[in-house]
Amino acid sequence: MSTETNRIAIKDGLFAGPLDDLADVHLCGSKCAACGETGLGSLDACPNCGSADLSPVALGNRGTLYTYTIVRHRPPGNYRGPAEFKPFGLGLVEVDGVLRIMAPLLPTIDDLRIGMPLRLHPYVLRTDENGAEVIAFAYGAMGE
Amino acid sequence: MNVSNVYIIGSGYHSFGRFDKSYQQIGSEAAAAALSDAGVEWRDIQAAYMARMYLPATSGARILRCLGATDISVIDIEAACASGGAALLQGMMAIRAGDADLVLVAGTEKMPRGFMDPSMIYSPWQIELGMSMNPAYWSMRAMRHMHEYGTTHEQIAMVAHKNHLNSVHNPMAMYQKEFSMEQILNSPLVCDPIRLLEICAPNDGAAAVILASERKVRELGAKGIRVAAVAHTISRYSSDFRCPAETMSATMDNLGPSEVTAARAYEAAGIGVDEIDCFEVQDTDAFCEIEIYEELGLCGVGEGGRLVQDGQTRIGGATPVNMSGGLISKGEPVGASHLGQIVELVAQLRGTCGPRQVEGAKTALGHVLGAGGNCAITILQK
Repeated sequence: MSTETNRIAIKDGLFAGPLDDLADVHLCGSKCAACGETGLGSLDACPNCGSADLSPVALGNRGTLYTYTIVRHRPPGNYRGPAEFKPFGLGLVEVDGVLRIMAPLLPTIDDLRIGMPLRLHPYVLRTDENGAEVIAFAYGAMGE
Repeated sequence: MNVSNVYIIGSGYHSFGRFDKSYQQIGSEAAAAALSDAGVEWRDIQAAYMARMYLPATSGARILRCLGATDISVIDIEAACASGGAALLQGMMAIRAGDADLVLVAGTEKMPRGFMDPSMIYSPWQIELGMSMNPAYWSMRAMRHMHEYGTTHEQIAMVAHKNHLNSVHNPMAMYQKEFSMEQILNSPLVCDPIRLLEICAPNDGAAAVILASERKVRELGAKGIRVAAVAHTISRYSSDFRCPAETMSATMDNLGPSEVTAARAYEAAGIGVDEIDCFEVQDTDAFCEIEIYEELGLCGVGEGGRLVQDGQTRIGGATPVNMSGGLISKGEPVGASHLGQIVELVAQLRGTCGPRQVEGAKTALGHVLGAGGNCAITILQK
């Protein structure tokens, strides 16, 4: 078995740090020195004020559920969920009091509650045409 | 600022629905109907604007050439669900600038069935993770509103019930059918808490108006409906969670797009919401209408559910909303939706709506809101 994993983020700049140890992967934020807002991922310009004076920050792995829905039908297009569709939660997860991030939710749909604590769950979504593992993220209950 | 008046002297439409016809046929039929209603000829039109989102480049020219070859300026306009408002704004400005006295503004769309093509709006990674369903975004807003203000499933269903009931008398609507509260509440969930009978369908359709300067109105001896204001905006930073947003700020509390656009429209028209007699608003889902009541100022924040429950937004209520049946009944041919609202509001102000007439309506407002926080509001006065 190779000791080096060939892994890439599903979106460039989405994660902070190496992707080898998924238990230690964080989402990356870009904090603006001009207005103080934080955007998701490694950004060239602040989504609020347009400033390029941004610093990367590793976002905390814990969050709370701000709101959610349950997707009852298979989403259109190139959806990479389970081959046999199962309704799933999608939510806005509030992280570090600065950002609400849209993400798929792992808890059973009946267990979803606004305000519930959640934890980031980075995972291997698929292997791409170059053999690299593509890393995506969801949020799970604290125990998951 | 002292600006000249612009009037609508004719309106027309092609029904909203699904048709075995080309978009050129659908669009040109609406344009011809508007010309006929105005009593003017296509060759008299000095500029034309065509709102569309899912049609190919130069659709406006391809549609309007069906009325006869021309050498006027014909421009396609796209601003998502607010495309029609953006087109109307351009037409109004052309007249105010003194560049034209007679302008055609139309919207046309022909869309595939079911969910809209996600690659038009979403990034590939959002599609892979299942974040590419527009109703999911509306539903998350609904869920939060229910949590914060106690808005109920029944109140959301009441919006759909009211709009489906209003549609029964509207030949423009795709569904001209009443549904009971029980049928609505038992229809399948699409994205919780939003159900199938509480959601609009993308479809085909077209609508058009003829705009005229004050001078032209006098020359023709026409009876125009005055365009008191047209405002178009995109949402301020993190003020609206609508597709294809990835995040919201947890610290910023900017005014939402409907509030910002309404404030501009009210100021331009020099009136307050209390002076408006009837409304056509974006009801892509039933919850959305509740939130828009609040953002237009029909009621306080958190009181939208109660407003529909108390019957205030029915025809005959204090502030009737979506007399046409709304997009829930008509469907949403994106480029044509706002001009479809304008066709309804012109008919309301002319007093020709029959069973869905708002008695004595003198001032009317149309509102659309969609992807990217594109919002447009038009205010018309008799």
